[in-house]
Amino acid sequence: MSMVGAPRNEAEIEQELRSRGEYPRFRLMARIEHIILLISFTILCLTGLPQKYALYSISQSMISAMGGVETVRMIHRWAAIVLIIGAVYHILTSAYRLFVMHERNRVLPDLKDATDLRDTVLYNLGFNEEPPKMRKFNFGEKFEYWAVVWGTGVMILTGFMLWNPIAVTKVLPGQIIPAAIAMHGWEAVLAAASIIIWHLYNVLIKHFNKSMFTGTLTEKQMEEEHALELERLEAGGQAYTEPPLDILRKRQRTFFIAAAIVAVITVAALYWMFTFEDTAITTIVPVSTPEVFVPLATPIP
Amino acid sequence: MTNLDLVKRALAALTLLLVVGGLLGFFFWQPAAAETAVAPQEAPALEVAPLGTILQQDDQQAAQPPSDAACISCHSTTDATVTFESGETVSVHVDPNSLAASAHGMAADPLACTSCHDANAYQFPHASVAEVDVRSFEIAQSEACVRCHAPNHLTAHPGLESENPVICTDCHTSHDVQPVDYWYTLDATTVCADCHVERGVELTDQAALSEHIQAGLFSQTQQTSEFCMGCHAAPNQTMIFPNGDEVSITVDGTGLHDSVHGIDNEWQALECVDCHTSVVFPHEPKTAESAREYSIEQTQLCANCHETQHEDASVSVHAMALAEGNLNAAVCTDCHGFHDTPVPNEPRARIPETCEQCHSTIFNDYAISVHGHALLDEDNPDVPSCVDCHGVHNISDPTTASFRNRSPELCATCHANEEMMAQYGISTDVFDTYVADFHGTTVTIFESDDPNVETNKAVCYDCHGIHAILSPDDPENGIKENLLITCQKCHPDASSNFPDAWTGHHRPTLQDNPLLFLVNLFYAIVIPATVGFLGFLVATDLYRKVRGR
Repeated sequence: MSMVGAPRNEAEIEQELRSRGEYPRFRLMARIEHIILLISFTILCLTGLPQKYALYSISQSMISAMGGVETVRMIHRWAAIVLIIGAVYHILTSAYRLFVMHERNRVLPDLKDATDLRDTVLYNLGFNEEPPKMRKFNFGEKFEYWAVVWGTGVMILTGFMLWNPIAVTKVLPGQIIPAAIAMHGWEAVLAAASIIIWHLYNVLIKHFNKSMFTGTLTEKQMEEEHALELERLEAGGQAYTEPPLDILRKRQRTFFIAAAIVAVITVAALYWMFTFEDTAITTIVPVSTPEVFVPLATPIP
Repeated sequence: MTNLDLVKRALAALTLLLVVGGLLGFFFWQPAAAETAVAPQEAPALEVAPLGTILQQDDQQAAQPPSDAACISCHSTTDATVTFESGETVSVHVDPNSLAASAHGMAADPLACTSCHDANAYQFPHASVAEVDVRSFEIAQSEACVRCHAPNHLTAHPGLESENPVICTDCHTSHDVQPVDYWYTLDATTVCADCHVERGVELTDQAALSEHIQAGLFSQTQQTSEFCMGCHAAPNQTMIFPNGDEVSITVDGTGLHDSVHGIDNEWQALECVDCHTSVVFPHEPKTAESAREYSIEQTQLCANCHETQHEDASVSVHAMALAEGNLNAAVCTDCHGFHDTPVPNEPRARIPETCEQCHSTIFNDYAISVHGHALLDEDNPDVPSCVDCHGVHNISDPTTASFRNRSPELCATCHANEEMMAQYGISTDVFDTYVADFHGTTVTIFESDDPNVETNKAVCYDCHGIHAILSPDDPENGIKENLLITCQKCHPDASSNFPDAWTGHHRPTLQDNPLLFLVNLFYAIVIPATVGFLGFLVATDLYRKVRGR
């Protein structure tokens, strides 16, 4: 396993795993990202979807169980901040892997993903004898990854608009606010539905896949879903590339400076987002009560 | 017998009659003040002849007149009785305290026992009573009264010459004789009622009694309004309260007759005492300090019949204010009037005009609103008057969080009614589109059930006005012309683009809200497509699993 700044020999680790019949799947960075996403996404769904489906009594029960709609909205915003931090962390670790470790980018979709999808369906339906041999990230995982990228982008963007509608409409037309509300809600439905149907099926029902927590996959699962990666590793390929130490140190220095700047900017941006405007959330008192007892001049009684 | 003889005899008889009559008249003559009726406020002391002269005149001066102390020493403690020949017995006990508190005991020159009881007859040891029965004894004793008091007011009662005379002590009792003031109180009438009502003794000479005593006490006809109106119909009569408030007690009989309680009352035309149940004649003094306090007290009378309304009103904002000591808070009569109570909602404009009596500035706002204009100027039957929103008797506090949170539903009762709105060409989408919006969802769904949540999200009246609700299209002050100003009431930083964030109660269409419409359209395609695609993949995989591959 590799920690940033304290690299161990990847080859040694691989040897140790293989002796137990396991193969490296996710490094610690990715697992932390997943936990951040898992927690924030779940909270966002639980606090957000009842607001979209307000008319259902279960939504209303959930909202009141969580302390009322104003509390729920504050939880939602804090969970959003966690999600954004997770997203920034992912961008930084991805940048580290691409620009410091010089790993190959293996999540971009290509034509083989389309044929793998076709062959998987044909195999499932019994038209093909063998399943397609797939790489470290198969078509389903790539689909999920890019769905999360798209979804998170949409949610952060539209969420910012809903958080700061007055500031946004100083620049953009007012119509964008109801559109953002609709998009934020529908995208949430899409994401939740995809996670339940696709992700939970694949990691809980199809197999009970713990690799996002343990970091490793068994040989059997590698064979079924990542046969090409298994072949590559068996042929002596390394799970993760590792540049020579002096080059690595040099790149790391540049990276950490850039990452620190990005992190500072992110924190500043989040703070700015929280305090961007006031009167959308804490409005002024809407109605003042006038003097109500102003009798006409009439005799007593 | 000649005519002359007849005249002579008649003259002789007449002379005799005049002489006898003159003598009798002289004997019984008393100063006029003792017999004329006196006003209850200023009952003069009874004029009585000087005691000494009477005693000297009647009394043969006993050698040793018994002292009061001697009489009381036995009669205050004894439980001895006197037995008459008839077998009747009478206690000889006398309560010295009630005697001292009586008119005779309280007199400037208190009476002694022997002032009434013949000193000669009561030498000690006492001789046995001469009378054969109690009644004869009482009659004999009552002759002592007329030694001081003229028996004039007994003229209507049968005198001693009759077989069943009414004697002084029958009404005044013997030892605890009440002073004159007492006879002008309500209690005194029970003495008369004992015989004339309870025992049914008929009046011998009704004309001798005042009209009120005749009608009210003896015929029990004070239950009729005519009896009350005998006094209360007269104009310019007033009653003054301890704090100086002077109010008219003249009752407009015609107004009462024409009121809801009058001739058209489904139950029956009400008599005065149907409401004023505890008022009897003569009247008891009022306990209220002021006219307002009296009005508030009197509203309890309404509750006797209008129980439901009274219960509703007792939880109203008016009742709460009253309970907090605000005497200005409206009670029944402030809205409904009294005596000339009209049908409260006929014409319908009467409703806001009633509330105007206290809430004049709010009325002015209402009067210029679309609702007020339609009601007051066009007698429109659909627009809300005050009570349609605030309730009739159980008027709740409109400044509470729960009123605010539920107010959109209040507006929706009419504005979501398609049949009603169709007449005026008003969209019924207003409520649904509000609920679908951020403000509406928050208020009507998440906060409506919790009266403690103070919401700052806009409700209908934050934008459209509370009472001065104008048409949205009003060229000058309509909300469409002033949308930015309206938004800025809560969102002061809002810029000119911001009002477009509100979809204007329109359902999203390509024309009205193209961006929103397109977003909805996009997801209407993408969501089913994605779910369908992923579902298909999962289904094929399950198919594989089922086949055991």
